[in-house]
Order: sequence, then C-alpha cells, then structure tokens
Amino acid sequence: MRTDGPKATGPSRDPTFEAEALAFLDSLYRTALRLTRVPADAEDLVQETYLKAFRSADRFQAGTNLRAWLFTILHNTALNRVRDRARDAVTAGSETVDRAEDSTGVWPGSGQGETPETLLLRDTLAPDLQAAVEALPDAFRQAVWLRDVEEFSYAEIAQMLAIPIGTVMSRISRGRRLLFDRLQHLRPVNA
Amino acid sequence: MPDCASIDPFITPYVDGDIGVSERRLVDDHVRVCAPCHSRVTAERAVHELMRTQRTALACDTASAGLRDRCAALRYAAARGAAGAASAHAWRTRLVPLAVAAGAVLVAGAASMYVLTERSTKLLAAELTADHVKCFGMSSVLPVNADPESAERTMASTFGWHMPLADAAAGAGMELLGARVCLYGRGLAAHLMYRRNGQPVSVFMIPKASRAQAVVDVMGHEATIWSTGGRTFVLVAREPEDRAEAAADLTRMTAVVQAALH
Repeated sequence: MRTDGPKATGPSRDPTFEAEALAFLDSLYRTALRLTRVPADAEDLVQETYLKAFRSADRFQAGTNLRAWLFTILHNTALNRVRDRARDAVTAGSETVDRAEDSTGVWPGSGQGETPETLLLRDTLAPDLQAAVEALPDAFRQAVWLRDVEEFSYAEIAQMLAIPIGTVMSRISRGRRLLFDRLQHLRPVNA
Repeated sequence: MPDCASIDPFITPYVDGDIGVSERRLVDDHVRVCAPCHSRVTAERAVHELMRTQRTALACDTASAGLRDRCAALRYAAARGAAGAASAHAWRTRLVPLAVAAGAVLVAGAASMYVLTERSTKLLAAELTADHVKCFGMSSVLPVNADPESAERTMASTFGWHMPLADAAAGAGMELLGARVCLYGRGLAAHLMYRRNGQPVSVFMIPKASRAQAVVDVMGHEATIWSTGGRTFVLVAREPEDRAEAAADLTRMTAVVQAALH
C-alpha cells in the first residue's frame, strides 16, 4: 500500500515553485470541474487555489509532492465554499448512497462465459462512463476520480479530503460498485 | 478462513494491486468460496479497468487560455506582494507621504479586509481608495502597463475584458495613464488609471461580484460603486467641488463600461 502523503509544512525557497505549480493547471481544472460541475465555478476554484498556494508557498516543503499539496488546497477551498453556502454536500452524498445501497442490496452476479469485466470494457462508451461518473454522489465521485483518473495514493487522498484511509477505500469501493451498477443498466439488452 | 468483515479492508487494495503477498493470498482464498465478495471484486475490478482504459477520454478537459493567463498573473501578483513586504524600507524613501499612509492602511488591515471587503461597502471603498492613492503615488516603482496597447492586452488576458481603453477614455474626456492588476479580497481587481482635468481618477473592476449602488466618502476621496454585467465597478477620485460635474463624470464612465461589456 502506498503511503507517500505530502507534507505541507517546512521552509521552501525554490524559485521554480510557481512554474512547477502552474504545470498542474489542467489536472486541477479537471478535478475542479468534477467538484463544481460548472466550468465558470471550476475556473474560480482553480484561481482561488493558486492564489492561496502562491501566498503560502513558503509553507510547502521542497522535494515533497507539490501536486498532492495543490490538490489538498483545491479540496479545502471547495469544502469551504460549500460550507459558506451552508450545504455539506459530501456528508449528504455519502448518506444518500449508504441508504440507497442498503435498501437495494446491489450486488452484481458473477455471470457465465464473458465476465462482467469484459462486457463492461467492450460495451461502455466514454460519454456513458463520463455521465455515470458525473451522476455519482459527490463523496464517491471525488474518491473514484482521484484514485482512478488522477492516480493518487490512498494516503494522499486521505490527506486531501481530511478523512481516514479506511474511509477513502470505502468510498472508492462504493463509488465503483455504483458505477458498475449504473453502467450495467446502460448496456444494450442483447449485449 | 477469515470472514467477510475481516476481508473487507483488503478488497479495494486487492483490486488495485496495492496489497502485500500474504494479504493477497487471504483474499484469493476467501473470494474463491464467497460469492458476494467475489462479485464485489469483479465489479470493482471491471470499473477500475474501465476507468484506466478510458482515462484519456475522461481527462480531456483542459483549462482555458484565459484561466492560464489569470493564474499566471496571480503568480506575478503574489511575487510582487512578497517583494513589496521585503523591500518596504527601501520604498519609503521614494514615496509621497499619502501613498505611504495608504500602503500602511493596506498592510495593517489586510487580514481583516480579506473577509470584510466582501461584506462592507465602506471597507471596499476604503481599500480601493487606498489602492488608488498608493498606485498613483508609487507609479514610478510599481509595474504599470503605461501604453494603451499593453493595458488592453493585460485586461483581455487577465479578465477577458476586451475594450479600446484609450479611445473609450478619450471619448469620456479622460486620459488613460495605465492599467494594473491589484490584489483584492480573495482575487484580483483591474485598476485603470486615468487623468481628468489634471486630477487622477481610478476605475476598478472586480469580476464576478455584485453590490448595491453607493457613493462613499473616504480619505478625502469619493468612491462611486455600481454593478453591471455581473461585475462591480468602483470609480475613485478626489471629492468633487462641483456635484453636477461629478455626476456627468459618472455618466460618462458608466457609458464607457457599458460599451466595454458589449
């Protein structure tokens, strides 16, 4: 299990800090878009993230994971915005899915011949997958996105979202199973 | 044989291939005889593989050129802020007294302004009036896009605000002296610097902000605040001796801004 989480304290005088930070702009924007779902809001979120990062550059320890540090600021900023609006989307999202799963008892069957894995790989189009990811509750979408698309470690995600590693794994697991279920329903009947 | 609850924490790392040999063996043995856990592994693995194979398509969104420019501008703004703090002593010998006072107000009040400027029209007026005094007073040491073309480029790249600044100002009887990008609250504000009848006049534009129209007297200046097109504008000038002329100025500037938004 990878445990190389970022450290956000300690002195830094790296003159290339800003340029290196700006290299992650696309990655931050994509994730901001997953968080806000609105391009204009995503741009605002990224701008605020960079403003905070540049203002507190001396708190970043050179040699540690700059990308993870920026993502942590991004998620904290997004969370503060949600709190400012008096809506805790993360908690609500988790509870909603917990209830949904408990009530429906979704468990995919193991199937015969072609496996669900091969069927899913064969039949799922990118737009369908994108839509299914977008439809996930916030908490699970964040966890799955950070793990499977941005490829962060569990420890890095835990630090970004300020949750225990066990909760990270649980959200990834639930998010994937929800995606599987939704994509299964999208598959052609005769597939 | 471990039960499902004991295996549960290992399922996701197992699917991700992020697990030790002994734990992998435990999960292997368990899912061979447990249908629910086998199904869970199958589902998670299918989605994990799908996300991995379609990662390029999923990650196709890229930041706009405007966002790149604005973030790059933040880099320079932050660097300027740091440099300013470091060389405050050197600046003092070069500044006019009022500019020093305005700078002190900005530095001392920065922490509280950060939050309060979003709430208080008077504080907004005070902060931008201090910026007005500081920027004009320190124009010899602060970076200012003094030529109209450079000013127009900065406004377009940083704020997406396309307008013929010099021509529009001339039409309103004002001379464009330059443009800066100022830090304001949690973001940036465009600062257009003009001269009218020999007096400095500033127009600040704060993107994505709306406020009620107001006129605020502060530090011997008058700040006129209005919002249109989802942006807030603040006109800062010396308190006018002639109210009618001040009203005419505002009308002209409002026309300039309205024209810029179309």
